[in-house]
Order: sequence, then C-alpha cells, then structure tokens
Amino acid sequence: MSRRVTLTLGFEGNTRDVTVVIPDDEPTPWQWGERFALVGQPTPRVDGALKATGAARYTYDVQLPGMLYGAILRSPIPHARVRSVDLSAAERLAGVRAATTIDSGEVRFAGQEIAAVAATTPDIAADALKLIKVDYEPLPFVVDLEAAMADSAPSVFARGPNLGKPKSSTVGDPDGAFAKAAATIEATYTSPVQTHVSLETHGAVASWDGDELTVWCSTQGVYAVRDDLAVYFSLPPDQVRVIAEFIGGGFGSKFGASPEIITAARLAKAAGAPVKLMLPRAAEHLATGNRPSAVQRVKLGVDSTGALVAIDLKQHGSGGIGGGSGSSGPFRSVYRCPNIRLEERNVYTNAGPSSPMRAPGWPQGCFALELAMDEMARKAGIDRLEFRRRNNDNPVRAAEYEIGARNFGWAAKSAAPKQQGPLRRGIGVASALWHAVGNSGPEAQVIAHRDGRVELRIGTQDIGTGTRTILAMVAAEELGVPLSTVASEIGDTHYLYSVPSGGSGTAPSNTPAVRQAAANLRDKIFRLAAPTLGAEPGDLEARDGQIRVRVNPSRAMAFADVCKRIPGDSISAQGERIANYEGFRNDQSGCQFAEVEVDTETGIVRVVNLVALHDAGVIIDPLTARSQVNGGIIMGIGFALFEDRRMDPALGVMMNPTMDDYKLPGSLDVPEISVTFVEVANGISNTGVMGLGEAAHVASAAAVACAVSDAIGRPARDLPLTPDRVLAAMERPA
Amino acid sequence: MPTDDDRLTRPLSRRAFLKGAVVTGAIAGAAGLIRGAPGAAEEPQLGPGMAERLGPGAGTIELKINGEARQLTVEPRVTLLRALRENLGLTGTKLVCDRGSCGACTVHLDGRPVTSCMMLAVDARGHEITTIEGLGTPARIHPVQAAFVNADALQCGFCTPGMVMSVAAALQRNPGADLAEIRHATSGNICRCGTYPHVFQAALNAGKVNGSKTVASLTGKVRGSKSVAGLT
Amino acid sequence: MNRFEVITPTDVGSASRLLAEHGRVAIAGGVDVVDLMKQDLVEPPALVNLKGLKELQGIELRPDGTLRIGALVKLAEVAELPLIREKYTALAQAAGEAATPQIRNLGTVGGNLLQRPRCWYFRNPDVHCLKKGGDKCYAIGGLNRYHSILGGGPSYIVHPSNLAPALVALGASVRIVKFADTAILATAQTELVALDKFFTLPTVDAKRENTLGAGEIITEVIVPPPAPGTCSVYLEAREKQSFDWPLVSVAVVLSPAAPGKPVRDARIVMGAVAPIPWRSPEAEAALKGAPLDEARARAAAEAALANAQPMSDNAYKVVIAKVIVRRAILKAGGIQVETA
Repeated sequence: MSRRVTLTLGFEGNTRDVTVVIPDDEPTPWQWGERFALVGQPTPRVDGALKATGAARYTYDVQLPGMLYGAILRSPIPHARVRSVDLSAAERLAGVRAATTIDSGEVRFAGQEIAAVAATTPDIAADALKLIKVDYEPLPFVVDLEAAMADSAPSVFARGPNLGKPKSSTVGDPDGAFAKAAATIEATYTSPVQTHVSLETHGAVASWDGDELTVWCSTQGVYAVRDDLAVYFSLPPDQVRVIAEFIGGGFGSKFGASPEIITAARLAKAAGAPVKLMLPRAAEHLATGNRPSAVQRVKLGVDSTGALVAIDLKQHGSGGIGGGSGSSGPFRSVYRCPNIRLEERNVYTNAGPSSPMRAPGWPQGCFALELAMDEMARKAGIDRLEFRRRNNDNPVRAAEYEIGARNFGWAAKSAAPKQQGPLRRGIGVASALWHAVGNSGPEAQVIAHRDGRVELRIGTQDIGTGTRTILAMVAAEELGVPLSTVASEIGDTHYLYSVPSGGSGTAPSNTPAVRQAAANLRDKIFRLAAPTLGAEPGDLEARDGQIRVRVNPSRAMAFADVCKRIPGDSISAQGERIANYEGFRNDQSGCQFAEVEVDTETGIVRVVNLVALHDAGVIIDPLTARSQVNGGIIMGIGFALFEDRRMDPALGVMMNPTMDDYKLPGSLDVPEISVTFVEVANGISNTGVMGLGEAAHVASAAAVACAVSDAIGRPARDLPLTPDRVLAAMERPA
Repeated sequence: MPTDDDRLTRPLSRRAFLKGAVVTGAIAGAAGLIRGAPGAAEEPQLGPGMAERLGPGAGTIELKINGEARQLTVEPRVTLLRALRENLGLTGTKLVCDRGSCGACTVHLDGRPVTSCMMLAVDARGHEITTIEGLGTPARIHPVQAAFVNADALQCGFCTPGMVMSVAAALQRNPGADLAEIRHATSGNICRCGTYPHVFQAALNAGKVNGSKTVASLTGKVRGSKSVAGLT
Repeated sequence: MNRFEVITPTDVGSASRLLAEHGRVAIAGGVDVVDLMKQDLVEPPALVNLKGLKELQGIELRPDGTLRIGALVKLAEVAELPLIREKYTALAQAAGEAATPQIRNLGTVGGNLLQRPRCWYFRNPDVHCLKKGGDKCYAIGGLNRYHSILGGGPSYIVHPSNLAPALVALGASVRIVKFADTAILATAQTELVALDKFFTLPTVDAKRENTLGAGEIITEVIVPPPAPGTCSVYLEAREKQSFDWPLVSVAVVLSPAAPGKPVRDARIVMGAVAPIPWRSPEAEAALKGAPLDEARARAAAEAALANAQPMSDNAYKVVIAKVIVRRAILKAGGIQVETA
C-alpha cells in the first residue's frame, strides 16, 4: 500500500512543492521548515569518549589468546618473474607457525606481495621474512608517466600497450564554438600521485573455528569483505563474520578483501591459530592504493558576454597497474557549457595500483578546470567570481557564492592594492559538485528493551565520519527520546546488510533505513501505550522522552514506562532503504574561497584563510559535519602544496614511503577555516541527507592553487606547489 | 653490582655478540630490575666495565606505567610502543608511522611528551610513563579528553590518543597556552582526517577550564560553531 | 631489526672500550639508532648505552665563561634554557626547530650532531648506495631535490643536523673520549676537537660524516663566550611549517650586531646544503669591516652561494639559500626583514 504526499522542498528563498508516492510504512520525507528535537543540533559524537581515552578498539588493537603475528614479504623490484620462492629457512625459524607464498602472477610493481609468514612475535615474523629466498628474473620496467607512453617503453602488461584506449565524449560542436569564440585559453595542468595514508594501515585479525571464519579488519565495507572471503574460501556467507568496530581512516582505499586480509585468513588456517596482520607504513604507501596522476590539457572559449561556449579536455594519467585515472567529471557538470569534448586515457606504469580516493578524479579535474577558469576570466577581463556566477546555473551554488563572497570579503580583497614586499597575498575561489544521494539496500533494526534502552543495529561502519552518531540521532529523533537512550551497534556482519562506505553514501543510504525502522518501532510502542492513554495508536506522538496524545500532550507516559509493558524482553522493528524519490535536486554543490600568502623570494606558500560553503541536504549533526569539511579542505591543502609519491625512474621504487618524506599537512599548515552549510530539504529519501566527505574535498586544492596563482601573478599549473614549482611558475612571463 | 674482582676474572662471552645468536637473556641487572626469563638458558656474564648486560633474548623488566609497576618480558629490540601494546595490552597508544614523525604513539615520559616508537622498552626503565589510559578513562575522563569529545576534535580517532597527550602536556606546562602555542605543541602529530581546527578549539577550551571547573561544565555547545542556514 | 644486546657501561672509559668492539653502536636518546635499526641499516650485535654516564650530563656556564653542554642534554632543554636563548640565540633556535616536540624530548645534543643523513636512497634498505659501501650515489641522475648544492661528491647527501650549523657558527668544540689501552694501564683520554674540523666531506670517506672513530664518544660540547655585542640567528626554510626537514638552514653570528657600527666578526654556516655544515668564509669576508645594510647582506648571500653547483632538481635551493642567508644576516644585525 502506498500514499501520495506533497512535499515542500528546497532551500532558503527557493522552495517548491513536489508530489511523490511513498509506501505506507515509510515515514514522510523531511521537508523544508521541519522542526526537529535533535537533528541539526551540534552534537558530540557518541563514541568520542572511547576514542579520546584510547578505549576504542580498532582492528590493530584486537588481541586474541594464542594470536600470531603475520608479515608479508614484498618484491623490492618493480617488474620480474618469480622463478622460485624458498620458504624452508623461514619455516625452520623457532616461533614461525606458518609460511606461504602469495601468487599474484608476475611482479608488476615494487611492493607486490610475494610470501607471508605468521610467528609468535612481530619480530620473529620480520626475521623470518629475511630468511625467505626469492629468485627473481628481472624484467624491464617503467614508472614515469610520459616515458610509459613511448612506443619503445617496456610493457607493464603483456596483453597490451601501456597507453589505454581513449575514453571520449562530445556534446555539441566544440570546434565550431572555439572558432567563433571571442576569447580562448589553452594550458596544461599536472598533478601527482597522492596516497591515502590512512593512519590505521590495512590489515586484519583472522580467526577460524572449524569452518567458521571471523575477521576483524580495517575496512569501509564489512559486507563486501565478507562476500569476498566467502568466495575465496568457498564458504557460505553466513560462515564468515566480519567486524570493524572502529576504523582508522580509509578515504576510499579500504574496500573488499584485499591481499592482506586474505593472507591473514590463510595464515590463520595454516597455523591453526588466530593471526593479526597489519601492514607497515611503507607497504601502505606502496600497495594499498593511490589517487592517480593527471596531465590535463584544457582549452576554454567564451563569447563576448563571458559565457563559456566550449570546453576541451585531453587528459592522461596513471594509477600504476590500476586504471581509473580519468578526471573529466567537473568538466562535464560544474559549469554550463553547450559544447564539450572530453578525452581521457589511462597509462599503465610499474607502480602500485590506484584505488578510489575521496571523490575519485574530481580534485584533479577541479584543479585544472578552475585554474583554466581563472586564466579565461583574466583574459576576458572579468572578475573571477563574477565569471563563475555567469556560468553557473545551480541555484544552490548561486546562493553559496553570495554568502561566501560576503563572509570571505571577496570584493574588498580583490580591490586591495598589491603588496610590494616579498610576501604577497592571493585569493581564489573554486566550485564543487557531488552526487551523494545514497542507494537502496541497507536494512536496519531498532530494538526497545524492557529497561528502556534502545539499540540500533545495522551492518554499516563508521570510518570517522560520525556515522554511529548520526544514526543514533535519527533513531532518537523518530522515537522522541534523548540521544543517550540509543546505542548504535554497527560494524559487524551479524547485523543486517548495509552498503560499503564509499561515494559519500553512508549517511544518505543508512539514515533512511534507520528512520524507517525507528518509525516502525515507534508505531509498536504506540500500540503498547494506547490502552493506558485511552487513545488510538494513530493519535499518539513521541516527543521529549514521552509518548503522548497529540491533541492533549498532558496525557502522556514516559517512553521508559511504556517499555516496561513490553511482554518479553524487547520489541524490535526493521526498516529498509528504498529507492530514491524525485527530489529537489540530485546533486549537491559547494564552493570554497582561499587566501594564501606566498613568500615570493623562497616560493613557500602558507594558506591563511579558507571559507567553505556546502550543501549536504539535511545536516543531522553540524558538529561532525564541520569536522568532515575541515578534513576535506586540509587533505586538499596537502594535495595542493605538499603531497607527491616520488618514484625513482631508474630504480622503479617509491623513495618516500614514510610520513615525513611523504609530506602531510600538520597543525602549522592549517588555515583559519570557516564552514557554512546551506541546508537543502531535497526529499530524495525520507531523511534527505546527503554525504559530505567527498564534496568537501573536491574544490580545496583548486581554490588554493587559484589563490597562489593570484598571489604570484602567474598561473601555478603544476601540483604540488612546492617552493621549486612556485619559483618556476614565477619565472614565466606574466 | 659486579666487583672489581669480577671484572678481572670474568671473560667477556663472545657468544653473546654473534649476530643472530640465540642467547636467551637472563641477566643480573644493576638496578635489580632484571630477572631471568622463564626457561632462560644461560646467564650472559658481565664483562669488565659492564654495569648491566641485557639480551639479545627476552628478559623480564619492570616499567612504571600510569603509576603502577608493571613487569614484562621483552627482547631489547622491542620498542616502548610495542611493549605497551603487545605485552601490556595498553592499545590506546597507536602505531602509525613507526619512525617518530606522526606522534600517534605519544606518551608522557616523566611528564614530557615523547614518541614511544623511537624508544626501546628497556630504555624506559626508571621513568614515569603515562599513557592515554593513564590520563583518563571513559568513566573518569580527563578534562582534555572531555574537551576533545565536546569540540569533536576527532574523526577516525586514530591520531587522537597521541594528539590528546600532546595537548595535555602543553596545557600542563602552560594552562593559558594560546593558539600559537597549541599549534606548535601539536606540530609533531599528524591527523589524516584533518581535524586540527577542532583540536585547537578543544585545547583552548580545556586550557581555560582545566583544574578550575568540573568536567560536567564542558558539555556545552562548541563556541564558534557556524550557524546552519535553513531548517531551524 | 636484528637481535642485539644492550650493555650499560660503568663509566665513560669502559663505554669507550666496550664500543670499540666491532660493530657495536652507542645509544643515547636512541631516536636515530632505533630508526636505523628498524630499517636494518645498522645491525649491531650490541648497543652500548650511554644514558647513565655522568660525564655526558648537564648544562653549565663555567667560570671561564664557556658554556658546557653534556652530550646527553635533550634538544628541548637547549631550546628552552633562558641562558642559551639569550646568549646563544642561534643554538636555541636551531634546537627549537629540530624535528618535533616529542623528538626534542628524546633526542640529545650528541645524537643530533651524529645522526646519519636523511637521504632517501641512504635510508632505503634496498638501495646499496655509496654511503653503504656501494659504488654509486643515486642522487646523481636520480631524485635529488633535497640533495647538496655545495661540497657534494662523490656522495651528495646533506648534513642533517640542525645544531651543527649553529654550533660551528658559535665556534664550538666537542670533547671526545677515547679509551687507550697501554701495556699496563688502561685509561680514557680526552681530546677537544673544533666542530668545524669534526665534520668531513665525502671525499675523505663517503661512508661517514665526521671524524669520530671506533670507540670514541662525544661527551660534551664546549661553546666559547660570545664577544660583547654579538648577536646570533638561526633561520630555516621548509616546505611545510609543521615538522619537516629543512630545505636550507643558516646560522649567523655577528659582532657587534649594532646597526651603524662596522662588523668586526661574522660567522655564517649553512645547513642542509652540503654534506657538512657549510661555513662560508666568502660571505663572512663580505660583511667584515663595514656597517651592515641590505646591500651588504645581499652581497654576502651571493658570495655564500657563488660556488654552488646544483644538481638536476635542486637549483631552487640556491635561490632559497641566498634569501635565507640574507634574511638571517639582517635579522642578526637588527635590521627589520619581512618574512612569513
């Protein structure tokens, strides 16, 4: 059964009514002007005390009786055939309980898995790796992006050339439009390989009980790991349990049963004892994923009014032995343009495989597009923000430009006279777009106990975004109880299915399932309370910890007192995430304004100030939401200024697989950050929540690079903007 | 203590110096902290001029951690960080970079923050070590930890124990530490989630209330929180 | 990390004698030794623990006006002690900029002077480079953005010590103890070595950075009293403002440092540009005998880098070095400079 409801959707000053058909057991989507008890209140995360006291148990912290320590031997050379692996000496070392080879075919990058051991201490495991003899037949290799494209370059894969087939698309008539354009610019922008550097490295603790496997692992998708392991070990999925109570970051690198997870389980099986296998830091850089490099040749054209008439992108990049280096996303959708040609080509190199990283392709694409937009605006003689306004047809972003320009002081800063000393300030603005509307799939269970406690169970995971907290807030909101009443139980395949935490989909996919489950539970609570309150269940409401009669709130029972009437120990209800409705918009916009100070004599850049405006639908918890935006920006500053996986072309190995030579932003590299959310009731699900982790990161490096270019009066087209690059950019003619 | 006579009469055991030789550590410690490990095969002898000789095998040592004397059996090559985590189950202190550059393993050594990954466990003898667990627990939370929670100065939480220890040490030295001082105090701690602005806020909040107000007073809203346009 | 013993000596003479045994390595703060052992770059059968040796402890201003800093003194103490901050400013600044707050609480003065290079080829256990007895410096034709621009060859590392440039500029010496075994009597002998003679170029021995021999121990650093009116400054340029290795550092000691008065003496020593702390007599000469001004500082900075021979990727370090040297000179001379 279903019902038809008309929703008022939109944002401040821009709402419209949308009629949708929704199933009967689905709560009416939150709409514009909704009044909440908890939602929207800045709320410290529910597991904060566990994290701040070190009591939170991550995979790295799991210790089981009789547990062994695993370690993986990796190829030190970038391309080879493995003739033989001799484990015998390692197996004989006292304390070694299992040793195995890892056959991943030909070695194609330095860092690829060769063999593994499990031993009674990590030191013995490390000692054992040194005793493994590997006979490599070295093969020619190439790690440099441009060198790999040459016809004479060594082949990374025997099956084909290093240069992949172009992925092209064309809208309109770009050549015709360029020919007629009032002005055009063309430039090439480059960005390096960035690595995720999750603080908790990849790894797992695996334990067998007969044919039942339990794996604790640092993952963004407990169910995905479960399914992969079930296939790998030919087990029914219900004989595999995956637990990820706390996860020390992922950023896109932790999906599925990666080699170290499978290896931990194999070693545990061979040794007949639980095995913990956590990667050392260097391996994390080498083998667990990265954001591909990109070389982007961009051409833009405008007409005499400053409207974009044509965009042309020709891009290539390398994710090592992985693909997915494309960066065209922003070019096709951020600004309005009738004629667009996009060409992307993946280049294979003998380097660790790429994996999704926080808005895959978008920070690179946004960097090139926005710098090109600045170059175009300057050539057309239009203020850079005004140029973006003219080419924007997203009403939410239009609002964000206005609020942001005011908060940032764009006009005053633009008009400020250029400084004369070595320190020069510069400003930049960049636009973000993302589509974190979520997916159907998750199912949630909410349980009320006789003692008044409420448990929420769902097989999602919190990779640091605050999932545990916002899900509890949604359940508490629906049940009208304080947040402290609800315990979020997540990160375990013993709970109902949920999707992997990717594409910023966790909040938009899970909150509607939880809300529906909580609403269904609330209806059961109403039925328990109705006789005592002398009312029909449908006439009751749940607010302020009470179940009360809507028209006469003085007729009320405490929620906890209703729970005492539960005939057994508990009552529970489920909810599912159903497909998206037609909402207000299915995208989310944002923009970020950056101010930098460049020491023009040394080329050293300091980001001074960053103003971020974002739309993420309904913001459940502005406090944790702001944390995510801060984080997206700071990771973007790392991409803009510091981070670069540095491969020696002659050795074919990464020279900086550390956390000091690989340079990450620290406390003194962080600007003043101001975050404003433009809240949108989008009605796309019953909560209308959208994800924020990626949206907050898309534009940051671009805004910083635009500001650096402004400060030095020349485009800074090559990331990271280390002093050498900034000094080199300043050598160019203005 | 060995006597001069001992030094003259006991030849240095060459065996102990053979690389990779399996000599189980059973040592007569100068400070009386060392005893033979269970199953210890042989006591390496003190040579001339030696006050103490440990390893290379595991020996039992005593560390003073969070006010308690704790005994553990480790090889000399085990870092303080790994001893805390693997031998004592104090897993709040995190292993992240394992070379002193990220600060996730920060503990207090005689009240000062140090990276426990760059120190051998045997070298920590005789010092007062405070770990994140010793600072406070969920039930008896330290004001700095409470301030971290209330300002949401944590995301994935993996850098958090180290970050808390750095901030707590800075505020212990100067409860009125300003933003610049807090930034410097945390400049050896890497947070990949990029949660620094809230760390600064937490530190400034904790600095003002540390020791003068109760923890309960910290549960207010975070100041400086941006208004949320829209639904409210 | 290999398995090893830890030997605690009874006294400094025994420490020296115990250290002389093949392959043994001294451990004090442990920061660099532990790091090197984790990478299997050193695999000592035994560590000789210097921590308890009283000759290596403490900071004092001695009656003759010299400053004595025990080799075991922590970097944090050097950075914080008011006496050093006031009279040996460059030294305090150099210590305060070193590594991280946590490392400064572990790392010692002796360890900072003796730490091995940060070169990523040297630190990679799989790369058998010249410094490890191999036949090649991989910085040549490799990734050399952080390598030397002065004094390089056949190895192109840069000396990693923050304290070294400051101490060389301040005219410091190190006291070295060595156990001497004569027929009847075994004694510890000490020798005072000027720091600018202590560090050695790769042309002397590519595998080492200084003259410290087997069984030798730095017990203390001796810094002479600065002449009246002396001012010293340490500056460094880094990619990151949080913990990062310097691209270039410089210590400048000027006397007198009063504006308008002719400079009588100047010492200028750069760090992170050469395999040793790089003193520039050319820059010093350019400053001496006349009052300091912007043009003189600029000329001195040009002179300091006149012989620079950058590698394929590090010419920018020459540019930065000139700026940092000029700014440090002006700062030492009390002339306002606009800096980040």
